[in-house]
Amino acid sequence: RHYGGYEYPQQGGFVPPDMMQQQQPYTGQIYQPTQSYTPASAQSFYGSNFEDEPPLLEELGINFDHIWQKTLTVLHPLKVADGSIMNETDLAGPMVFCLAFGATLLLAGKIQFGYVYGISAIGCLGMFCLLNLMSVTGVSFGCVASVLGYCLLPMILLSSFAIVFSLQGMMGIILTAGIIGWCSFSASKIFISALAMEGQQLLVAYPCALLYGVFALISVF
Amino acid sequence: VGPGRAGPRAAAGPGRAGADAVSAPAQGGGSAVIDMENMDDTSGSSFEDMGEMHQRMKEEEEEEAEGEAGAGEEEDGEFLGMKGLRGQLGRQVADQMWQVGKRQASRAFSLYANIDILRPYFDVEPVQVRARLLESMIPVKMINFPQKIAGELYGPLMLVFTLVAILLHGMKTSDTIIREGTLMGTAIGTCFGYWLGVSSFMYFLAYLCNAQITMVQMLSLLGYGLFGHCITLFVTYNIHFHSLFYIFWLVVGGLSTLRMVAVLVSRTVGHTQRLILCGTLAALHMLFLLYLHFAYHKVVEGILDTLEGPNMPPFQRVARDIPVVSNAVLNTTAKAIALTL
Repeated sequence: RHYGGYEYPQQGGFVPPDMMQQQQPYTGQIYQPTQSYTPASAQSFYGSNFEDEPPLLEELGINFDHIWQKTLTVLHPLKVADGSIMNETDLAGPMVFCLAFGATLLLAGKIQFGYVYGISAIGCLGMFCLLNLMSVTGVSFGCVASVLGYCLLPMILLSSFAIVFSLQGMMGIILTAGIIGWCSFSASKIFISALAMEGQQLLVAYPCALLYGVFALISVF
Repeated sequence: VGPGRAGPRAAAGPGRAGADAVSAPAQGGGSAVIDMENMDDTSGSSFEDMGEMHQRMKEEEEEEAEGEAGAGEEEDGEFLGMKGLRGQLGRQVADQMWQVGKRQASRAFSLYANIDILRPYFDVEPVQVRARLLESMIPVKMINFPQKIAGELYGPLMLVFTLVAILLHGMKTSDTIIREGTLMGTAIGTCFGYWLGVSSFMYFLAYLCNAQITMVQMLSLLGYGLFGHCITLFVTYNIHFHSLFYIFWLVVGGLSTLRMVAVLVSRTVGHTQRLILCGTLAALHMLFLLYLHFAYHKVVEGILDTLEGPNMPPFQRVARDIPVVSNAVLNTTAKAIALTL
């Protein structure tokens, strides 16, 4: 039997280095180990491919530097946003932030992942339609979802504050209003720099404020 | 197979051109006019396509059947070949049907789901929105001359969403429980139902009464009228006085109603018609505010009477005053209880 470089097939299968080599040919199908044992396909591309394989994070499209840059842009509301940072759609960061939001709500005793999911889906759809109608150049759904997800970060601060203190007093109202303003200001700043809609920041910020207000409602009550 | 394939493709040509002509006016300059001539393009309609294809399939099958009958003796050797040809034909038919279906669906989608039609109604500046919001509370005095209504949908849409948010906030602070459905669904359904439903109804009445108003203008007018509702509910959901609500209802609700009524009157001719239109609008507008206050925040009054508010101190034990009784009575009672146990 010729296994194409499989040096000692007669022995009891003790070939760990070759085994690893064979199980990760770059076909993007790491969960089908049986494929690596077919001689015809294994013949053509595993010899040199292990070194040529891109790193896992690059394959998945997760670029930690960009994620960090975007997070910093959100956290400094007065920092001028670069319009090109939203060119690549990145949903890994927003996904992490949504899960973190749900987790902080869980710590406060509210199991509301379903609400977070539903409201973020409907909110993204609504903002997508509105921005497409208001801007000269269109915008893709991934971009809208990405921006709205990144700007959810201050809301995580609010819900983690709600774990320890109740937000239903005057202090809570002021803090909630401040955080909603921060989120919507950052989101509108990124949107108008990416879509070149000067002079309409307030018009974009208001629907964002309504959306984040609903998230704040979940955190507070 | 040759003529069969050429047929649908020839029909696809004018079909595609028609779709392009429909979408072009919307792209050029944002005009909302659709060129109706090009919409009447039935050359690519599915019935004719299907009919054509079906006819050709039948003819081909007949030819094949004749061929098969003729070559029946060679069937043993070419058994697989004939079956293969049949399967290929079936796949071609399926493929063509898929193409036609896809073309139809994409054309229908690009025609009906084309939200670019609404694009001109969202082209506003913040200053304009603010001016219109303030104007919606100021009744006009000149009713002999048709008043201008801005045909804009951004402001009304945002006001409806604001009303939804205020309703949600009110329901949450009063711990309203909705049994059949969700809080969010109820709030959205109520507000959008009012805006779209009452606008359509008023447009229908305006059509009957010969008023000069378009559907977008009606939506815009009613939407801006919700500004008064938003202010009233925002204040009275947080400060709970019945008399305060009634004052706001009359003053704020009344002002926005007067504004809408004055605009409608300026665009209608004839006393009866004016009365019908304005009476209906005033009644619906004011009653909606009343309904929103009482249906979504009623519970709070009961709670306020018994509790201090959401931040209640924990339940405290208060010692009761025990009446003084003599020791003998106490001892007798204790012995009686011990015996029964």
